[in-house]
Amino acid sequence: MKINYNIQDRFDLAVFLPVVVLIAFGLIAIYSSTLNLPSARGDFFKQVVFVGVSFFTFLLFYSLPHQTIKLIAIPLYSVSIFFLIAVLVVGKTVYGAKSWFGIGGFGFQPSELAKAGTILMLAYWLTYKSRDINNLKDLTIALGIGIVPIMLIMLEPDMGTSIVFGLVTLTLVFWSGISLFGLFVVLSPGFVIFASLFGTISFIGALLLIIAALFFFKRDLFNSITVFVINLASGFFFDFVFKILKPHQQKRIESFLDPTADPLGAGYNALQAKVAIGSGGLYGKGFLNGNQTQLRFIPKQWTDFIYSVIGEEFGFIGSVLVVILFAVIFIRLLNIASLAKDKFSVLIVVGVLSLLFSHFALNIGMDLGITPVIGLPLPFLSYGGSSLLVNMMLIGLVLNIYRNRKLHT
Amino acid sequence: MNDNIFGSAARKRILSFIIIGFTAIIIAQLFNMQIVNAPTYEVRSDENSVKPIYQTAPRGILFDRNQEVLVGNKPSFTLRITPSEYQDTLTPYIETILGVDSGYVHKILKANNTYSKYIPRRIAKDVDFKVIAWYEENAAKLPGVDYVMETQRDYSFGVMGAHMFGYAREIPLSILQKRKNEYSMGDEIGFAGLEKTYEDILRGKKGVHYVLVDSRQKTIGKYKSGEEDYSAVKGYDLILSIDKAAQKVAEDAFKERRGAVVAIEPSTGEIIAFTSSPQFDPAEFAAVTSYENYKAMRDNPDKPLLNRATTGYYSPGSTFKMISAVAGLEEGLIDETTRIPCNGGFQFGDRFFKCLHNHGSTDVETSIEKSCNTFYYSLVNKLGLDRWSTYSKKFGFGRKTSVDLGEEGRGIVPSEEYYNKVYGKRGWTKGFVISLGIGQGELSVTPIQMAQYAALFANYGKSANPHFLKAYIDTKTRVRTDVKPQYYDIGISRHSFEIVRHAMWKVVNGAGTAGNIRSTDLDISGKTGTAQNPHGKDHAIFVGFAPYNNPKIAIAVIVENAGFGSVAAAPIARDVIAAYMRKALPNQPVTIAEAD
Repeated sequence: MKINYNIQDRFDLAVFLPVVVLIAFGLIAIYSSTLNLPSARGDFFKQVVFVGVSFFTFLLFYSLPHQTIKLIAIPLYSVSIFFLIAVLVVGKTVYGAKSWFGIGGFGFQPSELAKAGTILMLAYWLTYKSRDINNLKDLTIALGIGIVPIMLIMLEPDMGTSIVFGLVTLTLVFWSGISLFGLFVVLSPGFVIFASLFGTISFIGALLLIIAALFFFKRDLFNSITVFVINLASGFFFDFVFKILKPHQQKRIESFLDPTADPLGAGYNALQAKVAIGSGGLYGKGFLNGNQTQLRFIPKQWTDFIYSVIGEEFGFIGSVLVVILFAVIFIRLLNIASLAKDKFSVLIVVGVLSLLFSHFALNIGMDLGITPVIGLPLPFLSYGGSSLLVNMMLIGLVLNIYRNRKLHT
Repeated sequence: MNDNIFGSAARKRILSFIIIGFTAIIIAQLFNMQIVNAPTYEVRSDENSVKPIYQTAPRGILFDRNQEVLVGNKPSFTLRITPSEYQDTLTPYIETILGVDSGYVHKILKANNTYSKYIPRRIAKDVDFKVIAWYEENAAKLPGVDYVMETQRDYSFGVMGAHMFGYAREIPLSILQKRKNEYSMGDEIGFAGLEKTYEDILRGKKGVHYVLVDSRQKTIGKYKSGEEDYSAVKGYDLILSIDKAAQKVAEDAFKERRGAVVAIEPSTGEIIAFTSSPQFDPAEFAAVTSYENYKAMRDNPDKPLLNRATTGYYSPGSTFKMISAVAGLEEGLIDETTRIPCNGGFQFGDRFFKCLHNHGSTDVETSIEKSCNTFYYSLVNKLGLDRWSTYSKKFGFGRKTSVDLGEEGRGIVPSEEYYNKVYGKRGWTKGFVISLGIGQGELSVTPIQMAQYAALFANYGKSANPHFLKAYIDTKTRVRTDVKPQYYDIGISRHSFEIVRHAMWKVVNGAGTAGNIRSTDLDISGKTGTAQNPHGKDHAIFVGFAPYNNPKIAIAVIVENAGFGSVAAAPIARDVIAAYMRKALPNQPVTIAEAD
């Protein structure tokens, strides 16, 4: 096949253009939601600076020699873990979570860097020589690479980001070809934990289902008992974790399970976000005309609830446009994964895809009341330098992989 | 590593399915929220952040029949407290500057504590300018305190008319709960008198401007740039039939007396003057009135809150003789030549009913002119209770006049049925009826019924229901709408009226009982009366009209505990008539008539 040297050949506009439009949307929404709030008025200009810096980062990682990506995997992961430990010691507490380093006027979130580090590390480990994902040892180490940052982030505590790390790890393991039983072993503790949230009876019920499933898989006694013990332990372990969670986090979990229980607490923001989006109607109330937004009914709207600004001021049309732009990026990333030159690159693309998709699904899902209220930024739109920087760095890597894709199929 | 499974088509399909599936769910939910349920969310969003600020509408002005102001409006300062921001430590300062007792502020705040604490409460209305100056100086130290300019009723136009005008006051909770859709807390509502009757047109329309408030109720700006705002619209001005000059004379005459005056234009039923004494000061109700003030007025033995003109029950005395005269003439029992001998009384069975004089042989005209009782004892005896009662009712007694004021009494016109009910079938005798002929006994009338009665003689049995409202003026269009009274004719021959009217003329202008008010200029006709009063001195009564031909005014005057009607009541009637006719008072010495 002849190589076509036009720009589309080396640079995937189907990913890049939606990203640019989403960033623009984000700036508009940040401008609107901070306009009437003197204390946050500067955030818009900060974000403009972040956008500039992140485009530079994007270009840097886009133009990196392809082989070097593999070389930075281990150092990046190690630095990430180091920072995650350090932030627990010397970090700044923002909204009840110790997840920030304060550097001058700017803050830096190590968990954002850890996203890139973990994706690279997992991709590196899972494709190193001849790994077998269905080998217990290889699987355990792979899961371990994911679980270490998850545990550290949980300690901050930042529930949302931990969940995203879990989903990313799971997706990469899944993509690597884990068997149905393997998947069952990985997923069943999550199922048991979820069931335990509803009380002792459902916890026991879930354990019974696990036993039934183990009979279905007809594995040997040792394996079966091991899996069961893991499940039992994770149930108790989660109960322990739940108790060390901050009250506002416990409330968030509870308010998702029963949204009517606490309408003015954790559920309040989500409710106001829903009102904002719903009242936007087909065309929206217009830029700077959303009263929910302009009157600050949604606290810190320009971070986690940015989508409600778009929903209110740009209506159904604007909201759907944002969703479609994301969908275009996701589908395109899935295609790029098939084009990538090696498995390492494939896993990076899939990792980025799962990361962005998890944020997208959980953030917009929260705004629309279909997923629990957990604090996660919406990629490219939410205010926040670390998040934007890392997302653009990952998009840079993906387009780098695209640039160096298999030229023949 | 299993190359066949890594990134297999099946696994790619699963991821695609998740991505597309979730995207579809999001779009479906967006459709559900922003298209299907958008109206619900819009309402919630507006409720969240749009706050109406109401502007009270000035009430319509009350004019007299010559377009002179009777009750107006004046701007006044109202001091308010918003509990959400207010600090109780400020109370002593506010009470001191207002010059009120300690505990005043607390009491008002407590009385209103069922309302949202973000709504300001009126603490004092019509406060002195020095209070406002003090507030302006110290505003920064007085969180939750503010003042607004409001219009308030102005009663400084020379007449009080408390019982007819009534008053408006802050709507009480009990009424507010019933009329939630029309009123809100702090609104004024017409509470008595014409203010109450014509509340719907007097109150005007509140203005409102919508402001946006943030989640802490702080005002951020206008809602929709004010396009849904509207200004307050003043209530309709009312043109009343009252004549201010006549009204003033009537009120002044009663400064030191108790009683009532009602004057009516006979041909239309329009009320020219209307007073009940003692009065209360309606301005007291315009301010934030404490319950104590109200209670003091209510428990006053002179009953200033009682509207004597429409709800006071009086015995009509001799003024009622004309009913029997008309009835006798109409029923053919007498004619103008029929004479009845008066020997100083009337023997009925074993009872003797007295007359004040020995009038000798008396015809109907003289019987009225000189107020002979014997003539009427005899006449009513022939007439019988039924016919007497029928004619009394024809003249409007025993039922409401349907005047446009809320409260009104029917009075009592006894009938066979009435006596049976009160005394039992055998408990009363025909003798009861005899005294009714001279307006005594169990007969109760209201002053407004008496005025209507006088009007019917003035206008030969044709009149209209007594009323105050002549017209009202639409504030926006300035279109004047005249009120059509309910005309009626009681169906009595002109001939009978001519005889009785002439007799009434003679009462004043002949050798009658009201010679003391004779005036060729005013040409008054009338009849005096003295109502026996079991609780004290007799009440003096005068009913009459003027001038004799083509009368312009009919009047009833009742002065409580004042003795002979000609002495106390007739001159008041004359003065009111003179004021209305714009004539000078005749300077004539008062001659005390011997009888009425």
